[in-house]
Amino acid sequence: MNGLTFHRKVEENTGLLIFGILFVSAIGGLVQLMPVLNQESLETATANTRPYSAVELTGRDIYIREGCSVCHSQQVRPLVAELERYGPYSRAGEFVYDRPFLWGSKRTGPDLHRLAGKYSDDWHRIHLLDPRAVVENSIMPAYPWLAERAASETGNIEAKMTALRRLGHPYTDEEIANAESDLEGVMEIDALIAYLQMLGTGYSAEEESGE
Amino acid sequence: MADMPSGFWSGWIIALTLSSLAGVAWLVWSIYYGRDLQEESEVEPVWDEDLEEGHNPPPLWWFWMLFGALIFTLVYIMLFPGLGNYSGVLNWSQGKRVADSYEDFQANFAEARAEVLNMSLVEIQNDLDLMDTAERLFRRECSACHGPDGRGQANMFPNLHDVDWQWGASAEQIEQSIRGGRNANMIAWQAILGDEGVEQVADYVVNLRQGVDESHPGRAMFQQNCVACHGMDGTGNPALGAPNLTDNIWLYGGDMDAVRETLQQGRFGVMPAFGERLDDMQIKLLIALLVR
Repeated sequence: MNGLTFHRKVEENTGLLIFGILFVSAIGGLVQLMPVLNQESLETATANTRPYSAVELTGRDIYIREGCSVCHSQQVRPLVAELERYGPYSRAGEFVYDRPFLWGSKRTGPDLHRLAGKYSDDWHRIHLLDPRAVVENSIMPAYPWLAERAASETGNIEAKMTALRRLGHPYTDEEIANAESDLEGVMEIDALIAYLQMLGTGYSAEEESGE
Repeated sequence: MADMPSGFWSGWIIALTLSSLAGVAWLVWSIYYGRDLQEESEVEPVWDEDLEEGHNPPPLWWFWMLFGALIFTLVYIMLFPGLGNYSGVLNWSQGKRVADSYEDFQANFAEARAEVLNMSLVEIQNDLDLMDTAERLFRRECSACHGPDGRGQANMFPNLHDVDWQWGASAEQIEQSIRGGRNANMIAWQAILGDEGVEQVADYVVNLRQGVDESHPGRAMFQQNCVACHGMDGTGNPALGAPNLTDNIWLYGGDMDAVRETLQQGRFGVMPAFGERLDDMQIKLLIALLVR
């Protein structure tokens, strides 16, 4: 059989054509996706990566609710300029406890993945309530309500942690039982700052050799 | 793709990729050259009176373009990682590429860096270009807290233009502040001093700069509780981050209300550590900018 008769057969037979299209377009997925689903290095946490604590998890939910990822990415790309500006580039294993990941795709503001420790908690508090108080030409909106609402009101933290445990996050019974008391007296802004102050701490320079 | 889960998946990728390429090559080749024109001359159907299949082959440059793309693909997957565990002739990896370009970047600046590191602070201060760089660095790394001009802001981040520095203004002290950060730890005194005590000590501290009478009611409590950090005369101790209370320079405010609040709640100012974020040359430039 040569290519032309094959072509003719396919064109004259709709069922065969549909099957052919599906088969050909499936090849890409079979090659690209199937092996990755079984790739352990993508599921293995880097040495310092740990599941979010009750407070940090709540902060993360607030981060999602306020749409921070619309303007801030959480991925330092492997480019010299980014290493200079932000620090080590992001590793796959740092995101194993991120459901969903918050990589973002647009940087109206700076990348936040290596934010931990860059500013003090007090600075974050002032900056979130009124960004212009510390960065005069900032275009970030103010989030004054964060200081007025209790973090425990953002949702049932025990249910969240139980659901995440079912997905494989290693929370202990004790951590889940203590979750609610951990959130006592914590305002939304405190939870968000706790989350911001642990962003990017999952990676340590010692792991570099494994690249 | 150097960390494929197992040999099976590596083989899976290789087999599917190569057989797809072979299939495309066969299709392209046979459409152009496998076709027997004699055999094709059987009766062709005619539609709508005079509409029939044309017999002109597609243009030849099409064939060469497709064939060229195939050859490019083969060369590419030989050179670069793409076929399962095979890492390619060039042994390329993204991590290695970043590491290499970062090394190049460092090497390009090594000489300039070394030069700056060998200069004295005064020499750096006299070099306008370097001071320009230092100022840009300050705006990028420090201005979010200390303000774009370094004059402090928000009644919380210190002014770097004044003469009274909480943690000391010598080159060594500044370097320590930048590299390791600083954590001030003035505890809350409300529980220890009580309402009246806070009021008396605050009044004592507020009046300290114009001299206070020995008989001031807050004096005893000040002597008992505050001198360990702020010194007998209240002039402070940069080693502990205890500010001088006898001058007119106040971080959180020097009036009665501010001092009362400081005593009641304590103050826990934080300067983050920049030792990991900045290199030695950058730190030296910043010291040259800040020291006087």
